Amino acid sequence: MSLPASFDLTPEDAKLLLAANVHLGAKNVQVHNEPYVYKTRPDGVNIINIGKTWEKIVLAARIIAAIPNSQDVVAVSSRTFGQRAVLKYANHTGATAIAGRFTPGSFTNYITRSFKEPRLVIVTDPRTDFQAIKESSYVNIPVIALTDMDSPSEFVDVAIPCNNKGKHSIGLIWYLLAREVLRLRGSLPDRSEPWSIMPDLYFYRDPEEVEATTEDKEGVEEETEAVTEEAEWTAEPAEADWSTQPAEAADWAETGAETVQAW
Amino acid sequence: MSTEQAAAAAPQKRAFGRPRGGNRRGGRRDNEEKGWTPVTKLGRLVKAGKITTMEEIYLHALPVKEYQIIDTILPELKDQVMKIKPVQKQTRAGQRTRFKAIVVIGDSNGHVGLGIKTAKEVATAIRAAIIIAKLSIIPIRRGYWGSSLGAPHSLPVKVTGKCGSVAVRLIPAPRGSGIVASPAVKKLMQLAGVEDVYTSSSGSTRTLENTLKAAFVAIGNTYGFLTPNLWKDFELTQNPLDVYADEALAGKKRY
Repeated sequence: MSLPASFDLTPEDAKLLLAANVHLGAKNVQVHNEPYVYKTRPDGVNIINIGKTWEKIVLAARIIAAIPNSQDVVAVSSRTFGQRAVLKYANHTGATAIAGRFTPGSFTNYITRSFKEPRLVIVTDPRTDFQAIKESSYVNIPVIALTDMDSPSEFVDVAIPCNNKGKHSIGLIWYLLAREVLRLRGSLPDRSEPWSIMPDLYFYRDPEEVEATTEDKEGVEEETEAVTEEAEWTAEPAEADWSTQPAEAADWAETGAETVQAW
Repeated sequence: MSTEQAAAAAPQKRAFGRPRGGNRRGGRRDNEEKGWTPVTKLGRLVKAGKITTMEEIYLHALPVKEYQIIDTILPELKDQVMKIKPVQKQTRAGQRTRFKAIVVIGDSNGHVGLGIKTAKEVATAIRAAIIIAKLSIIPIRRGYWGSSLGAPHSLPVKVTGKCGSVAVRLIPAPRGSGIVASPAVKKLMQLAGVEDVYTSSSGSTRTLENTLKAAFVAIGNTYGFLTPNLWKDFELTQNPLDVYADEALAGKKRY
């Protein structure tokens, strides 16, 4: 598969992937179909090859872009970590989102209210969203899935190897998928320009965090459509709030700040 | 119920000679066939006339959920009720009897379907079995026994199908042999459009249901067999759901 060089993994994207811990695969539990592992750390964590992750994202995006009707793509997440990502993805690319409980029969029972007939299904976790995958198998629908090293691969047609345990990782992968699809469709004409939307938009926010931030901010919008990324990063409120979060998010803020300076 | 039970008890394997054509029995409401609002994408495309042959559906393995699709594409389907048998379940208040209807449907030109349904009333069972038969319609590949003169009259290969203990083997026969088979299988072959075939069956062929299912599997295998004239590659066609993506969505109910 030889694609033009513009589809290569850029250093900026690589930094994003690493910062979100996409490369940290599942411990110990590993299935045969995982040649995506780069190495196994002494503490049991399998490190995923980010280059391969990127290639699968591009492959998935090409498949998604090939569907003529954008609504025929269905993005599924029953887990909370992926729900916001899936909704934003659907918003930006015109797909349909199923966040939360996947009503059984949505693909097979034409009488249900939630009956959908997608041409393609994208799943956040093959283990928890197994119902969607099972039903797709009954009606000839191909499946793309964000798989971790311990995820079952039955009926998954394109697997994007990544860490599906962390909220940053899940959010980032959906973000990159959305960006790639928009680039392939031509909505974002320049491949080298970063997208005006921040990956943070795709991260899961738990309710207490939402309350805390809405108290501090007064009408400062979280959606960063108009403002450029550098300006956002240097604004104090955003950074201060992130640093009040537990360690994981704090790391993100610090490494994020470093990558900004690199830009 | 008693007369029907008596009638069912007497001829075990014989086909029920209820005269059929495209008409159903009386008591059907008017809006049943005229007002079909399709719910599935395929249904909408068929109603709009974008898909006109079963072959397009088979080529892309599109699942058919609405029987009206089949009605629109194959209007001259004839159905035949093969057997109504009462089946019982034991409850503490006696037996709970239901009726199992086995229906074969076909256009005598390469398409057959087999439907089996059990329901509390015979009529309901038959009606539902006919619908199931329509949804299960399968293409049959016909061929020649010898020289390919005229229209195909027999099967292209020997095929076999098995269901339960019954194995049915279908063998191509020379023109004029007729369908050499037991009455039930013979009816199935007639509705399929096969003119000449030899059969050989084994197992407990008295169980009509299994015999028919085995024969159905067998004729289904005719298109699963790779013969040399199919060796050549041919171009993939685009899935009609993609080609007509807009019409497929038009008119979809928004909740």
